[in-house]
Amino acid sequence: MIGYLLEIAQAALALALAPLLVGFVRWVKARLQNRRGAPPWQPYFELGKLFGKEVVISNNASWLFRFAPYLVFGSTVLVAFLVPLIVAPLPFDPAGDLLAVIYLLLLGTFCLALAGLDPGTAFGGMGASREMTVAAIAEPTIALAIFGLALGAGSTNLGRIVTQTLSQPGVVISPGHLLAFAALFIVTLAETGRLPVDNPATHLELTMIHEAMILEYSGRYLALIEWAAWLKLLIFLSLLANLFLPWGIATALTPAALGLALLALVVKLAFLGTFIAVVETRVAKLRLFRVPELLGVSFVLALLAIVSSFLMR
Amino acid sequence: MPTLFAQLSTLLSSLVLLFGITLLWRRSLHAYVDAFQWQSVTLSIVFATVAYFTSNPELYVVAAIFFVLKAVIIPLYLNRLEKQVGERPESQPYVNIATSLASAGLLVVLAYLITYPVVRVSLLPTRGGLPLAMGLIFIGLFAVITRKQALTQIVSFLVLENGIALLAVLGTFGVPLIVELGVFLDVLMGFLVMQVFVYHIHGTFESIDVEQLNRLKH
Repeated sequence: MIGYLLEIAQAALALALAPLLVGFVRWVKARLQNRRGAPPWQPYFELGKLFGKEVVISNNASWLFRFAPYLVFGSTVLVAFLVPLIVAPLPFDPAGDLLAVIYLLLLGTFCLALAGLDPGTAFGGMGASREMTVAAIAEPTIALAIFGLALGAGSTNLGRIVTQTLSQPGVVISPGHLLAFAALFIVTLAETGRLPVDNPATHLELTMIHEAMILEYSGRYLALIEWAAWLKLLIFLSLLANLFLPWGIATALTPAALGLALLALVVKLAFLGTFIAVVETRVAKLRLFRVPELLGVSFVLALLAIVSSFLMR
Repeated sequence: MPTLFAQLSTLLSSLVLLFGITLLWRRSLHAYVDAFQWQSVTLSIVFATVAYFTSNPELYVVAAIFFVLKAVIIPLYLNRLEKQVGERPESQPYVNIATSLASAGLLVVLAYLITYPVVRVSLLPTRGGLPLAMGLIFIGLFAVITRKQALTQIVSFLVLENGIALLAVLGTFGVPLIVELGVFLDVLMGFLVMQVFVYHIHGTFESIDVEQLNRLKH
């Protein structure tokens, strides 16, 4: 019983932390570029403002356009239930393994692409086609990278992978583990629309991907989509943190362990967020036609991770 | 549970392999030289690690010479050569970049399959790195035959050479110093000869695209 309550608390925590994480990344980036930047809690105000605004919908939009934000948000929140954030063997673990996580995320992407096509604007169609191009290479890479870990742990269950890694700490510096980490990091940048692939800071640029799809949205729909996108970033970063460096995560349900796990999660997320901000300050956006090459690199890394953890057992 | 030596050597070998794969992804000659330089730095760390764990002082000397030759002198010369010849990115290799990367992945799988019988009977603590070294040799060879600019081919050749050095140090824990010295001299001589060739190609065709050499037939 307490496990299920904890599970709900964990998903609520993910929802509450996601805007702060994005705000933090933006703030660090601003400081690195010698700007003062908005405070890290600015995204909360943005959400509040968007939820209060009136929704404007094109006459050509169908029910799909109104339905998509709820599905995107719902599927992302569902993923937050399946990913180990602060407790390792979750009571919901039997409900879905890494394949469920990947396909739930893909379901959101798919719906958003459909919704981008729906009002029939030029930008929406462009964004949708680009998003599908990226997703077609990124999704198998995520699957391969996490499979590399699953092979080592002997289970596709995310909670099991975490506990297995905790019981064999030496596996963390094995090449399969590191290659999978690098692959998943590149894919994280692509999937969450961060810099070398997509620029999250611009609204009107011919090469935008995510922003082009959601250009027609306003009001609470936009708020839901933005929130889901931030939650996705948090989910990917906590996957990176907890699957590859699981220390600090609570395996027992004591208040002390839970507090420590929360602290560890915040520290890991802050570290990864800073790293993303540094990467985004250092690199320029790739030309759209070079994006598949970058994703190709991460696919090869994931493939090598699998090969080395499969053949070197 | 593998020992620390085994873990470290495999880890460093995969880093060396990664720098080899970066070669296939990048375009500008500068990026090629950078990747080669970092690969050489990592490889000299491999030498030093093997020296430490097998307590073989000669290998420290090899690591030092390797570092000076391949991570300092040759990149310096390559960058100077690039300035004199004029930089031109590897715009159109024979095999495009995405396919090159996929082939690199397949080549590493192939290397794993080929070395599998050896690795299975081997008792070396470094056996985990053997397939990676073999994979690096394949990737170097692949890069040599698919790139068009003479300079990128030279860097690819040097990467291939790094692969052989990695295989040697992982497989034998260091061949005698005198042999290593001979190999280093060979590399340096080979590099200088290739440098002269680049000047000649550039002087004759005003370009270092080796496709131009086809014009010699007519």
